[in-house]
Amino acid sequence: MLRSYLTLAWRVLSRRKFFTAISLFGICLTLVVLMVASAVLDHIFAPMVPEVRQDRTLGVFRARMTGDRRMWTSMPGYLLLDRYARNLPGVERMAIFSMPQSVYSYPGGQRVRSFLKRTDAEFWRVLDFRFVEGGPFTDQDVANGSMVAVINATTRDRFFAGEPAVGRTIEADGQRFRVVGVVPDVPILRLVSTGDIYAPLTTFKTAAYKNELMGGFGGLLLARSRDDFPAIKAEMETRLRHVPLPNGWKELVAPAESFFEMVAGNLVGGRDDERSHPERLWAVMASAAFLFALLPAVNLVNLNMSRIMERASEIGVRKAFGARARSLVGQFIVENLVLTMIGGALGFVLSWACLIGLNASGLIPYARFTMNFRIFAYGLGLAVFFGLLSGVYPAWRMSRLHPVAALKGAAR
Amino acid sequence: MIRHLLKLVWNRKRANLLVAVEILLSFMVLTAVITLVVFYADNYRRPLGFEVDRIWTIGIEMNEGGGPGSVTVQSDGSATAPAADEERMRRRAQRELVQQLLLAMRDLPDVQDAAGAAIVPYGGNTWSSDIQVGGRRYRYGASAGTDELAQAMGIRVTRGRWFTAEDDGAAWRPVVINERLANEMFPGKDPVGRYLDEERPDEQTSLRMRVVGVIQDFRKDGEYSAAENFLLSRLTLDDATETVEPVRELVIRVKPGTTAAFEERAVARLRAAAPDWTFQAAPLATSRETALRVWLAPLSAIGIVAAFLLLMVAMGLTGVLWLHVTQRTKEIGLRRAKGATIVRIRRQLVGEVFVLTALAAAVGVLVVIQFPILQVFDVVSPTVYAISISASLMLLFLLTGACAWGPGRVASAIEPAEALRYE
Repeated sequence: MLRSYLTLAWRVLSRRKFFTAISLFGICLTLVVLMVASAVLDHIFAPMVPEVRQDRTLGVFRARMTGDRRMWTSMPGYLLLDRYARNLPGVERMAIFSMPQSVYSYPGGQRVRSFLKRTDAEFWRVLDFRFVEGGPFTDQDVANGSMVAVINATTRDRFFAGEPAVGRTIEADGQRFRVVGVVPDVPILRLVSTGDIYAPLTTFKTAAYKNELMGGFGGLLLARSRDDFPAIKAEMETRLRHVPLPNGWKELVAPAESFFEMVAGNLVGGRDDERSHPERLWAVMASAAFLFALLPAVNLVNLNMSRIMERASEIGVRKAFGARARSLVGQFIVENLVLTMIGGALGFVLSWACLIGLNASGLIPYARFTMNFRIFAYGLGLAVFFGLLSGVYPAWRMSRLHPVAALKGAAR
Repeated sequence: MIRHLLKLVWNRKRANLLVAVEILLSFMVLTAVITLVVFYADNYRRPLGFEVDRIWTIGIEMNEGGGPGSVTVQSDGSATAPAADEERMRRRAQRELVQQLLLAMRDLPDVQDAAGAAIVPYGGNTWSSDIQVGGRRYRYGASAGTDELAQAMGIRVTRGRWFTAEDDGAAWRPVVINERLANEMFPGKDPVGRYLDEERPDEQTSLRMRVVGVIQDFRKDGEYSAAENFLLSRLTLDDATETVEPVRELVIRVKPGTTAAFEERAVARLRAAAPDWTFQAAPLATSRETALRVWLAPLSAIGIVAAFLLLMVAMGLTGVLWLHVTQRTKEIGLRRAKGATIVRIRRQLVGEVFVLTALAAAVGVLVVIQFPILQVFDVVSPTVYAISISASLMLLFLLTGACAWGPGRVASAIEPAEALRYE
């Protein structure tokens, strides 16, 4: 049955090549835009090196303090993380990192701007960096405030023209660091792990950060398993309820949450609602995709409708010989899905080209947009979604044609 | 004629409804993109309010930890905000150091002017506030600058004056506002010398703000940003006057002919004077380039996608109309047989499409017009909407007209004798 549908679909599509081309153009365009968008989102949120244990990692990325007629939102401070986010139940490892600071150096008289991120030694164990050269700095380095640094490949190129860097020193913001390791570039959209230069927390120019509840730091919590997440979140919430706050401040909130939950909380969360609503962000993204696909879908519906009416006599014959509405609908949806799948395949290739172009343009530093199996699955899903969106109405209309009128080709 | 066309359209309402929906959606896309373009183009031609050439901005991070208003938890577990005295001492030490940095900069042979500021253009930092004057609330973007800032940045004062030493020890907080804010707050009156009533709970100084001058419209975010209200207050670095904001940026204007190597020398000098601080130096022109790219990248992405969408619609519509014509071969043949000329047939087809377009566009305009009425994006002025809607309407008719033209040719080529026997 399906085979004959497929053969039929192929015949129909190759009969009117011009119309098939117009349809394919629309399908392709739609899927390219949706697939590029999902590749970018995948690049921001999905697990990838060095964030490979993302499925059991939570973070503390935002803090909010409220008081009499005022509110203060920022990243958590070092003190908050150090004193209240350590030794949570079910957490294997806990790391603290600073928000990257942009620092300037002038090797050979040229300005180089780098993002300097300061971390503890646990950072290198929670995340899974694949070192190109050397290795991470140690607990000892952090305790002693040693002026050592891990740099990324681009920084190595800028300072040492790509030659081995371990053991050599770089200057940034007036401080000199001895390079102990080199890691591959991490895309700038991976806010947790990205950086050009990574140095121990204790190399900050002043130690003022150690006393701050608010501002400038993030925490990573590597849980033993996902099942521990609710307990960890609850414990963090309880602990923060007992933080002594300065006069005038009433409440401190700093949720333990996944990166996606953080983004959802920031983008679509309520102002006074510390709970993140990841499902709202999903809803927003799905509606955006739907709205975007609406015009191409209506365009395809229009083309499909016109083409069906052209085939009115064929449908009339099938109806006259007792074909049921359901099988006609099935036939037409299969035809439309074949068309969208071909468009999807073309779109997949074109998206790939777009992503390569986007990577080469350097618009987003260190971007490595790629096509992977996940994106392929998204793409397939999107093609089916689009095929159904544009195929159901024409199929329904077709199945309702009156056989006599249809046989005469007098369909309106 | 129109009534007849309406009837023809109505007779094929099912097929036409879908086409009309497609035209409606295209109109939305067209209006959205054109509004964006008109909005940015309109912004681009407005005055910027400052100069870009030969200016360096140097950001200062004082590495204080949590930033302004920091909170400390002491070892016994009780938490305090730093004592007011302690805080004041710290601020005073910072001001003194900034003063030294400015002197060090003026000492360099390449430097023409050096000033301190709270926020600089293209910086990405924003300070916005609101104020109640005469019972109405005004929102504005704010910054603060030292007495040399107008000179260093080329800010043009159109009324009154910029801050000078004569503001020292004044019983008010001297501010300058831009023309837009002046016109909004004091329409038709001279704002210079007027006080701005203020009621903000956590204001650090209790002084009232008083306008000493009006400057040309100032747009911190640059060429593509919308006109905004702006207010600059005075920064001082000596002890005589308390200032609210610390200096976060140095603004340096260099002499003509200064090379990029200046930057390294200046930064080395600053680092030597304040080893605990972090300095981020860049020519304003470079920051501007980066900022403009950030504005333009999403705009061009939207533009490209929209252009492809409209191309798709154009091709799709042509195809659909063409099929409609072939389905109506008999009808057209009949008209031809009754003596209708080719021109009239084509006029009918294009006319039908225009009727459809007009209906779709009417709905579209009704929807789009809600945006200015409800002030969904209040930075976009009604004029911009009016221009964009009219331009979109014109382009829409052009688009659908072009789509109907080709099928119209096909229709007019139909021979009556053949058409009447067409199956």
